[in-house]
Amino acid sequence: MKKYLCLGCGFSYDEARGLPEHGLAPGTRWADIPEDWICPDCGTPKSGFEMVEIPYWSQA
Amino acid sequence: MNIRFVLRAGERGFSRLVSTGVNATYVAGHPDGVITRHSSFNFHEYQSGIAGFGHIRVFGDEVFSPGGTGYNMHPHHNFIIAAFVLGGALTHVNTIGKVDELRAGDYYVFSAGSGGKHAELNIGQEDLSVIYLWVLPGKLLAPPSYVRSHFDTKVGADRIVCLVGDEAGALPIGQTIKVSRLVTGRSGTPVYRSSPAHGVYVFVLEGEAGIAGTVLGRRDSMALSGEERIEIAARSGTDLLLVETAL
Repeated sequence: MKKYLCLGCGFSYDEARGLPEHGLAPGTRWADIPEDWICPDCGTPKSGFEMVEIPYWSQA
Repeated sequence: MNIRFVLRAGERGFSRLVSTGVNATYVAGHPDGVITRHSSFNFHEYQSGIAGFGHIRVFGDEVFSPGGTGYNMHPHHNFIIAAFVLGGALTHVNTIGKVDELRAGDYYVFSAGSGGKHAELNIGQEDLSVIYLWVLPGKLLAPPSYVRSHFDTKVGADRIVCLVGDEAGALPIGQTIKVSRLVTGRSGTPVYRSSPAHGVYVFVLEGEAGIAGTVLGRRDSMALSGEERIEIAARSGTDLLLVETAL
């Protein structure tokens, strides 16, 4: 399970958590999200996200 | 000395944002308001350059015209955004509850963390010149924070002063990042001491500096890595920023 960060605004997508409020169930792989999907906060295209390996603050 | 890249002023991405049309809600100001943005790294519509360096993703050299021009309130997560005001006055408003005004030498570090909005406005009567630095955070969805400080060019002249990072007197930042500034009143060769495991991005605001055999003029920049000592042959009247980052 990987995490992706929007380079337009910093919005993060976590495959494990999904985005149920935007129709993406927990466990939805990044590769399975449509190519025309955009950042729900700023509209940056999917190609403008970067895979990151950054832990959550709450796990510190 | 490992030179990762040299980026001349004119090679950077360039955007001219106006407060009408497609950006009418994003860009504040009257219809003649203009923001110019020179980007050292890929950002928004500029995607043909360098993607980033270490934790750095955005280095924007921006000018806002007077009369309310800027960015209206808009959302962020995670990114740590720092602003360094070079001239004019910046009004910063954020959802942590801070309304701030920053002038030449003032700077802030805003960590958007678990979610925060901000507006960046020039409500003054002269152009606002500001450098925006965005870095990836050390932790995702941290509590948002805002801190600010001031660099005094008179007190800090002719030596390298740490503005942001893990040093006494510098603003803290939740990442392996250090931002320093050098302003010279006389020519000299100060030495920046870096961790050899890190990279250093050098951006010349004004004047001229020679580093590792490369001469950088106004708004030129370069990135180096693997060095403990970086000698900066700076002319009198030089003003530059150094951003050290883990790689």
